[in-house]
Parts: sequence; structure tokens; C-alpha cells
Amino acid sequence: MRCWRNAHDGYHWIFRARMRVAILVPGLAPYDAVSNDTLGMTAALRALGHEVALFAPHAQGIAEPVHPPTAVEHWLRSPDDVVIYHYCIGWDFPLALFRRTKARRVLRYHNITPPEFFVGWSDGYVAACTEGRAQIGEYAALACELYLGCSPFNLEDFTARGVDPARCRVLPPFHHVEDLLKSPTDAQRLSHTDGAPQLLMVGRIAPNKGDMDLIDALAVCRQTLDPRTRLLRVGKLDPNLERYGVAVREHVRARGVEDHVLNLDNAGTAELRAAYAAADALVMLSAHEGFCVPLIEAMALGTPVIAYGSSAVAWTLGDAGLLWDTPDPYLVASSIARLHTDLTFRAMVRELGFARYRSTFAPEVLAGGLRDAMAQLERSRV
Amino acid sequence: MSAEPSDDYFERVKAEIRAEADAARLRAPLPRKDPPPSDAAERPSRNDGVDRARLDYAIGELTGPHYAAFVENAFRCLLKRAADEPGRDAQVRLLAGGASKAEVLGNLRYSPEGRRIGTRVRGLLPRYALAKLTRVPLVGYAVEWAMTFAGLPMLLRHQRAADTQAAAGLDETRAALAQLTAHLDRQGADQQALGGRLEQVQQDVGSLRVYLEQRAETVEGRARALEIRSDKTETLLRDLPELRHYIHAINHWSVSLQRSFADVESTAAADAERTDALIASMYESPDATAEREARFATWLSLLADRLPENARVLDLGGGDGSWIARLAERGAEVSGFETNRFLAERARLRGLDVANGDPFAALTRYADASVDAITSSSTAIGSGDAIAHWFEHARRVLKPGGWLLFGCAADPRRFGDLLRNRAGAFEPALAGAALNAAGFAVDAAASRALRDAVLAQRA
Repeated sequence: MRCWRNAHDGYHWIFRARMRVAILVPGLAPYDAVSNDTLGMTAALRALGHEVALFAPHAQGIAEPVHPPTAVEHWLRSPDDVVIYHYCIGWDFPLALFRRTKARRVLRYHNITPPEFFVGWSDGYVAACTEGRAQIGEYAALACELYLGCSPFNLEDFTARGVDPARCRVLPPFHHVEDLLKSPTDAQRLSHTDGAPQLLMVGRIAPNKGDMDLIDALAVCRQTLDPRTRLLRVGKLDPNLERYGVAVREHVRARGVEDHVLNLDNAGTAELRAAYAAADALVMLSAHEGFCVPLIEAMALGTPVIAYGSSAVAWTLGDAGLLWDTPDPYLVASSIARLHTDLTFRAMVRELGFARYRSTFAPEVLAGGLRDAMAQLERSRV
Repeated sequence: MSAEPSDDYFERVKAEIRAEADAARLRAPLPRKDPPPSDAAERPSRNDGVDRARLDYAIGELTGPHYAAFVENAFRCLLKRAADEPGRDAQVRLLAGGASKAEVLGNLRYSPEGRRIGTRVRGLLPRYALAKLTRVPLVGYAVEWAMTFAGLPMLLRHQRAADTQAAAGLDETRAALAQLTAHLDRQGADQQALGGRLEQVQQDVGSLRVYLEQRAETVEGRARALEIRSDKTETLLRDLPELRHYIHAINHWSVSLQRSFADVESTAAADAERTDALIASMYESPDATAEREARFATWLSLLADRLPENARVLDLGGGDGSWIARLAERGAEVSGFETNRFLAERARLRGLDVANGDPFAALTRYADASVDAITSSSTAIGSGDAIAHWFEHARRVLKPGGWLLFGCAADPRRFGDLLRNRAGAFEPALAGAALNAAGFAVDAAASRALRDAVLAQRA
């Protein structure tokens, strides 16, 4: 029987009894990447025939029953059950749970921004990120049955701390890109039709997102390419990072690009889609990303990507865009110029993006990856 | 358009972009502007309700509020700032998970940030230590059980106090409910009044709708009239291409006609030129020259003595200047006009003042009583009734007592007069009668002595 199972890993999973899977997450809210991954994973597991329940301290706008975290241990009845924790901040409760539970433990790691990025901008963020990253070592020491990273970059945090690579697996996050593809467009706030180059950045305004380099790139574009060049900035500023927001606004003023930055801080799906359609490229100069969902949104929607290949960005983008080893504003400006004027090259980059999205990040690919991960988990019990 | 991925092509484009970026960096360097250092960034307003000067609390001062308000107050008192979202969420989750307030306070107070600030909270340390002790497996459970058991009397007291507080709260709630009911009643009355106003507004809206319908009918009528006018205009516009065609045709005909006239005029001018050349050749013949010389000699003998010294003489149709030359030799100031271009040219070559042009037109331009004599070979007179006009101007131009020598000889230019339908040479007797009738006094004796000419004096 053992030999049969080893020889037919792809099939024996089908005949296993369904598992009970508890998913624990720090919070659930619409338009949140971790929430999208949690809900997508829930749906995929249910499609595989498993019983799934969600546990979170708070949830808003989620059409799904969510239980309090304290109920998770009562819900887990058997050592064959599975608990998946979406690790993205410091939280003692899951760490204690993982220490005492007999169920199989899956650590879904979204990464935590290093606190160095927030030094001088927010003491609270520094404390929270320090606390969050301090738990990486403790989770590594627990030897969980599976470490499920959103990217190879994320898993390095655990392999560097001695976790067996055989317990590690990459599964890109579930996402709502297909909803974005089906969405109508709302371009009311993007009514420029003068043919000027447009840069797009999607993501919250935070010190690790490369906002200063992005503003420099816009200034260089205006100097060397077209003085009408604009930046479409989709994303919010956390009130706790107001000091950083002030510094960004000051930099915008110093570069003289105040009238060329369009902030879309409360963009809905339709407006986000219109922004991708209007842009010459998504410019991602972030210095730290655990995965970077906007990259796959751009690839799926046919918007070329220009990116600084930091952290997980290089893996997520792969060869499907213009990836540079530095956030040099001149490289960005020249890349924009090429994409704006060379339609053959632009079409090629778009095709590469479509292909990478379909081959690596399409929902059916992610569901297959999750099925394989659960099969690996199953084998760990054998 | 093919967009087949090609690593070589992709890398080549990237190399080109890199080269363009290097060139752009040299061409348009970005002014150095370091982002403002974070510490130098403007601090948020200090009017945030945080008492930064106070660093000493009793634990009871911090445990009054509940849930999120408790956490927010703890951040402000212990970390001297408002709670950030991740930090607040983490502590709220602890409370929701059954942690004591002392544990939350201890977490903040003994965090790296809290230790750096160093706020003193009297009574916190032992409670925090106990809270942490309860987290130790087995031992923690026993300690928590013992503490709970030991605290039962106090718990009972708290329970009774809570009952009392709840009862008081219930009374307050009832009173508030009564106030709310009264308020709702007032709202109901207001709503009724509002309903009355709403009906009035609806009536106004009805009147406005009627007015708008009337206006709409007026506009519709005007639109129909405009449509009819538009149809008429359209009909006219349909005829416009045909009209344009006619105008183009007329224009074409007009241009053709102008070209024909120009051709005719050009041919006539060429013919006149050739005729003048022929006459000039005839004029040179020996017989004509001899006859002319004899005639001029006679004319000069009869006229010269009648002219004052330095007399001013106008000659009309004087030929090649041989007659004018004779007068000039006698001291007269002579101006001549000759229709034949070739003869006029010959006269000018002799140094005489002779212009090529219409003699009669020249006569009409001369001032009144401005010359002492007019001499004419008669070929200078136009056709038809122009002779009377000619005499009239001659009389006007001559000074009182001035002389008119009116030639009637049939010299070679007579040929041109015949061709051009001019009056040409007259019979001397007839010319003399005409001059008498025109206000001149013909010198009969002299006229008889002259050959083919009449000499007359202005009366």
C-alpha cells in the first residue's frame, strides 16, 4: 500500500477522506491582499472537498461566517485536522496555538516589512514590525508540517533559520484579478486624452514603496521625454504614516511635479482597471515586497511593467517586464520612452505578461498548487 | 504584428534603454534633492491630547476605560502617542482573547519603546508578572485557579457593585428613552408640517410642468418653421452646383473673348505698324520729296513774315520734320505731333521736338491762346464731324491774331487717311469756307498763292 501511494501521489489524494481545515487570520476586510488570499484559499479547499472554517478577531464586509480565534481549538478535533495561519503581523495567539495543537500546522507566510523602513517615520510601525519579525525565528523552531510562502523570497526567512526546504513550498496568493478582468472601466477621473505618457503605481503610500524614486522618475520623464508626463498614484496613506506623507508631498513640490501627480486614493475596481488601461506602464520601485499583487494585475490586463527587482518582485515579474537592478529614475524614464514609442516592443512585453499570468498565477494554476501542497501535507502524516 | 518573445531581442532592447538612460543622465542631470530626513520631517501637531510631561500613574487610573478606549488611553499614557493601527489591533486581540488589562499595560510599558520612555505605573509590575505567570503551561493554570479562588469575596463585592451600577444605568436609560420619545413626537409634528409644505411644492411643480409644456409647444412650432425654411434653403442649395457651373462657363467664355480681343488688337497694331512703314517708305520717294520741298518753300515764304519774333508754333502731322526744321531755322519755337511712328522717329533724329501720338488729342490738351500759329498737313484731322471740333480747339489755342496754316496737299500720308477713314485732304476752297464759318478770317490772297493750303487768321 505504501508503494502504491508513493507511485501514485497524484491519485491517492483523491481517495483520501476530506479534512477539516481551520484558517486563522489577523483580520478580514475587502480589497485586502491577505483577505483575498484567505477567501480564495477557502473556496479552493472547499472545491477539493474539505471542510473549512475561518477564524479571525475581526471581519468587515465578508460574506462568510467568521469565528473568534479562541474557538479554533474546540473546532480542531483530530490530529488529522489542519490549521493554516496567515502570518503577516506579530500576534502571540497563533504562536501559542501552534505550540500546543496536535493538528497539522501550515504557516502561510505573507512576509513582514523590516522595521528599518519605518525608523523615523512611525514608532508604532517600528514596534509592530519588530515584534512581527521577531516571531519568524520562533515559527521556524516549531518545525511546522508546511511552510507555504507566497514567493521563494518569503521562504528564505525560514530556510535561513534552519527549516528543512522539503517542508517549504511556494504558492502565490489567491487574488481577485479575474474580477478585475470582468469589471467595467470608470475613467472619469482619468479624462486626459492628450497622448502624454502616463506612469502608474498601485500600492499604499509607505516608506518601503519607493515613492521618492518614483517622483524622481516622473521628473526625469518630464525633462527628457515629454513635459506633459503624468503619474497615476493608486493607494492610500495610513494616518499613522502622516509624517512620511508630508515628506512625499514635499518631494513632489521640490521636483515641481505637483500638477502631474494624480492621486487616486479611494479607487474602486472599475477605476483601477481604467488606470491600468490608461497607463504606459506600471512602475514598481518598491524596495520590499512579499509578493506584489499589482504586478500580476498589470500582467493580466496587458499593462507593461517596469520594476526594481528587489525582494520578491524579481520572481513575481520573472521575464515578463523590464526588470532593473536599481530604482534609477533615468532607467525608468528611458524604459517609459521605449514603451511609449516602440509599439512592437510594447506588444511583446504585453504578450510576455499575459503568458506569465496564465502559466503561473491564473486561478486554476493556484488551485492546482494548493492541491499539491495539501497532498504534500497528507504525505507528511504517512 | 509579431510579438514572439526573443531573449536576444529583449536583452538588446534593455541594453539600448540602459545606454539611453546614461546619455539622458549626462544631458539632463536631475538637480540633487535628497528626500528630507525623516527626523527633520514636520512632527504632527502636539495638540493631540497626550500629556507628555506626566510620567507617573497609579494602575487604577489606567484600567477604567474598556476595550479600544482602554488600549488608546494606555498608548497615550505609556508610549506618549496615539495608538497606531497594527499596535492597537494586536492589543485589542489580546483583550478579546481573554488577557487582563494588566497584561496589556505591561506589554506596552515593558516594550522597547515603553522602556525608553520609562513611565512609572504603580502596582503594575507584580500584576504583569502574575499575568505572564499564568501563561506558563500547568503552573500558570494552577496560579490562575488559586488567585481566582482567593479573590472570590472580592469578586462577589464587585458583582454586587456591578448590579447596582446596572440598575442605575437602567434608570438612566429609561429617562433617556422618555426624552427620546418626546423628541420623536416633536419630530412627528415637524414631519406633518413638512408634509403640508410638500403639497405646496407639488402644486408649484404642477404649474411649472404646465408652463414648460407650453414652452415646449412653442419651441416645437418654431422648430417646424425652421424645418420648412431649412427645406427651402436646401432646395436652393441643390440648384447651387448648376449655377456654379453656369458662372464657370461664363467666366470661361469671358476669358476666351478677352483673348480674342487681344489677338485682334495685336493683329491691328501689327497691320498699322506695317502701314506706317509703307507710308514712311512712300514719303521718302524722290518725287514726293521734291513736291514737298517746293510746297514747304512756298508756305514758309508766306507765313514767316506774319509771325512775331520767337513765335511759338504748334505743328500737327508734320511728317519727318522737314517743314518744322524750316520754321525753326527762322527762329520759331516749334512743337510737333506725328501719328506715323517712323516719321516721328526721323524728326527726332534731326533734333526736333516731335512726339509720336494723336495730333488732335495733343491739340485738345494745349492751353487757351498759347501759340502764335498752328500748321497742319490736314492728315491730322479725324473722321466724320470731328473737323468742327478740330477748328474749335484750334481757335481756342491760338492767340488772338494768330495764324492757322491748313494744308490740303495729297502727299503719301493720304494713303493712310484713306485706309483709316480719316477726313484727309480737303479742297482748298471748301476748307477756306469752313474756316471762315468757324470764326477764322481767311487771307484769300495768300491762300491763292499757296499750293494746296489755306492761311487763316483768328479773329
